[in-house]
Amino acid sequence: MENLNHLMQGFEDVVAPMNLLLALIGVVIGTAVGVLPGIGPAMTVALLLPITYGMEPVQAFIMFAGIFYGGMYGGSTTSILLNTPGESSSVVTAIEGNKMAKAGRAAQALATAAIGSFVAGTIGTLLLVLVTPFVVEFAVSLGAPDYFALMLLAFVAVTSVLGSSRIRGLISLLLGLTIGVVGIDAVSGQQRLTLGIPQLADGIDVVVVAVGIFAVGEALWVAAHLRRKPAEVTPVGRPWMGAGDWKRSWRPWLRGTAYGFPFGALPAGGAEIPTFLSYATERRLTKHPEEFGKGAIEGVAGPEAANNASAAGTLVPMLALGLPANATAAVMLAAFQMHGIQPGPLLFERETALVWALIASLFIGNLLLLLLNLPLAPTWAKLLRIPRPYLYAGILFFASMGAYAVNAQPVDLFVLLVLGLLGFAMRRFGLPVLPLIVGVILGPRAELQGRRSLQLSGGELSGLVGGPVSYAVYTTVVLMLAWPLIRRFVVRPLRAARRA
Amino acid sequence: MTVLIGYVPSPEGEAALRAGIDEARRRGERILVVNTSRGDAMVDTRFAQEPDLAHVREDLAALGIDFDIRQVLGGRDAAEEIIELAEKSEASLVVIGLRRRSAVGKLIMGSSAQQILLGAGCPVLAVKAAATTS
Amino acid sequence: MSSQVDERSAESTRSPEGKDRAQYGVCAFLALLGAAVIVDGLGIRHLTSTTDPVGPRTVPVILGVLLLVVAAVYAVDVARGGRGEPEAGEDVDLSQGSDWRTVLLLIVAFLVNAVLIERLGWVISGTLLFWGTAFALGNRHYVRNLAIAVALSLITFYAFAIGLGVNLPAGVLQGIL
Repeated sequence: MENLNHLMQGFEDVVAPMNLLLALIGVVIGTAVGVLPGIGPAMTVALLLPITYGMEPVQAFIMFAGIFYGGMYGGSTTSILLNTPGESSSVVTAIEGNKMAKAGRAAQALATAAIGSFVAGTIGTLLLVLVTPFVVEFAVSLGAPDYFALMLLAFVAVTSVLGSSRIRGLISLLLGLTIGVVGIDAVSGQQRLTLGIPQLADGIDVVVVAVGIFAVGEALWVAAHLRRKPAEVTPVGRPWMGAGDWKRSWRPWLRGTAYGFPFGALPAGGAEIPTFLSYATERRLTKHPEEFGKGAIEGVAGPEAANNASAAGTLVPMLALGLPANATAAVMLAAFQMHGIQPGPLLFERETALVWALIASLFIGNLLLLLLNLPLAPTWAKLLRIPRPYLYAGILFFASMGAYAVNAQPVDLFVLLVLGLLGFAMRRFGLPVLPLIVGVILGPRAELQGRRSLQLSGGELSGLVGGPVSYAVYTTVVLMLAWPLIRRFVVRPLRAARRA
Repeated sequence: MTVLIGYVPSPEGEAALRAGIDEARRRGERILVVNTSRGDAMVDTRFAQEPDLAHVREDLAALGIDFDIRQVLGGRDAAEEIIELAEKSEASLVVIGLRRRSAVGKLIMGSSAQQILLGAGCPVLAVKAAATTS
Repeated sequence: MSSQVDERSAESTRSPEGKDRAQYGVCAFLALLGAAVIVDGLGIRHLTSTTDPVGPRTVPVILGVLLLVVAAVYAVDVARGGRGEPEAGEDVDLSQGSDWRTVLLLIVAFLVNAVLIERLGWVISGTLLFWGTAFALGNRHYVRNLAIAVALSLITFYAFAIGLGVNLPAGVLQGIL
């Protein structure tokens, strides 16, 4: 009940004309930047960070809610209009959506994606409201050893679950942890890895890392490999759906949401697995199996809903525990820290108004997105014609501005370039970028919690093992690390035995 | 000798194609269809995708005219590309389509048509979309 | 009766077969970084107390050792023919080699901005940055680009520095803007 009151208060905050305008601006800019080719949701949020620098935290987060969902939606528009997905989570949308578009059903594909995103986003946010207080209640009871274990779990999850190669994930994580060490040690006051540069004493700002890796690194990488042949684009009118399409879409929307939210809420669950699961399910349940692979509306409706619900799900661990589960959540977390706010269980106590205004604006942003995107789709499609020199010049321009404005020191621009080159190299060698950013954000906090635990035990390593929570977490960590061995020596022989 | 047609998948481009075919038949010359794109945007509506080219190829083949289709990607402006190709192929005529543009549009973007008219070493035939559809 | 596509970027295509030897460079980088982190870590005064039994040295030293280990494991992986998949994207064409000239020009434009931003101010350095990157990426409409760059720099300066109070330097134009 109390939370319901908080939420109502949140809505009251957001509905003030000025804040509503900010939400609208956030949605419009988020979608516009998200539609641009080569710019994914994480980069969208990273590039648009400076817009909120001068704002009050509440207003900044009202705007961010819009940018968050807008960027997500913009990405899927691009995948439907061009047959080239920007993110692995929109691969499935691209397959069926583009086939639909080619068959002259672009309007329906865009409509089912937009309405499905709205349904999934709204249900997802509702689930967020219901679930998060329980997670917070649980999290408040956790001690330093439990937190240390949870962060260890997050590290292991992002390096070994995602991506194809564990060693490459681990390299990325270690690079991130090393970047996180730079600066003055919070406990002892000693300088570490500052190379004698006084401006590095405060550490490398997470915003600079996010912008460097996601924006500058990506821009340099794309600039070195520009596609010369123009892509084929499908002309669109205003998105709409007939009664038949509604009938075929609503169940996939709900099922997609059911897949997406829990996966999003897991550390490193991501949006990829639920979109694929949703696609496979729809393919099995459909009454039109012959259309799959040729443009089935269920194949767009389900995965798009799963994608958006998982985005809402990632906000649960981010808000309640301060753990980022995907790249976009990591950048959002950087945005929180930028405004001097530390997500985690205490956030709900200390910044009650802020949190509930953010959640309320997620609902409102979602609604605005629907109202806006149905009529504006043809306009968004025109953005794909922007010449690349302007696009990438714009990315570097805003990235530089954003990185400089964090601390107003030119050193950050050199750091930004070094990080950009690092991002370039990581893309060249197939090193995933998510573990790095998670390492930068969680590394210093993990060190702090670890040292706190050992302080309680007087330096004995047994201090790292706290209550039952840490036991459970360490068991999961061991299982994850040993999974390739388990699969080899337990799962496969079992399957073979069953077959025989 | 050759009639060079600057082709764009649009009503103006189609008009240029029709006019170019008429001229080539009258003169008994071969046709060179040229489509260019700077290739610097994700999407370029002036770039002829495979279905457009297929229909051009079909039309020309049906008429039994000797023809060649060239697509130039990346690098320079369409106008420079067409002027150079006209010289190389010793074109007797260049056919281009004109589109209606606002004064501001001309001021900011310049005009490829103007560049071709002034720069080509052979006569240039400029057609409008509306003139040939009737 | 033929049709052909001319590509102006005449670069050799990278063959997908064979070992990706450049990865050994990454191993070397990781090993060097690991060594540097250890050296830096050992250089920190070892301060432990009852409130902090671990001290500031432990974590960097552990990280450095892990970096060395990972460099070795990675080298083994590469020697066995392991390779990372270069990141694909909607605007990326991996069939061609890397366009180093563009990347170098972009870095130059970026550095020019970093060096000049405080001296000349954001409006001028930002203009140079935008114009330079557009040039690096192959746009040759010099005058139009300059107009766009100036407009963008002025708009961002007024909107962010003056409107929202974001830190952007006015530089030599202090008092004029």
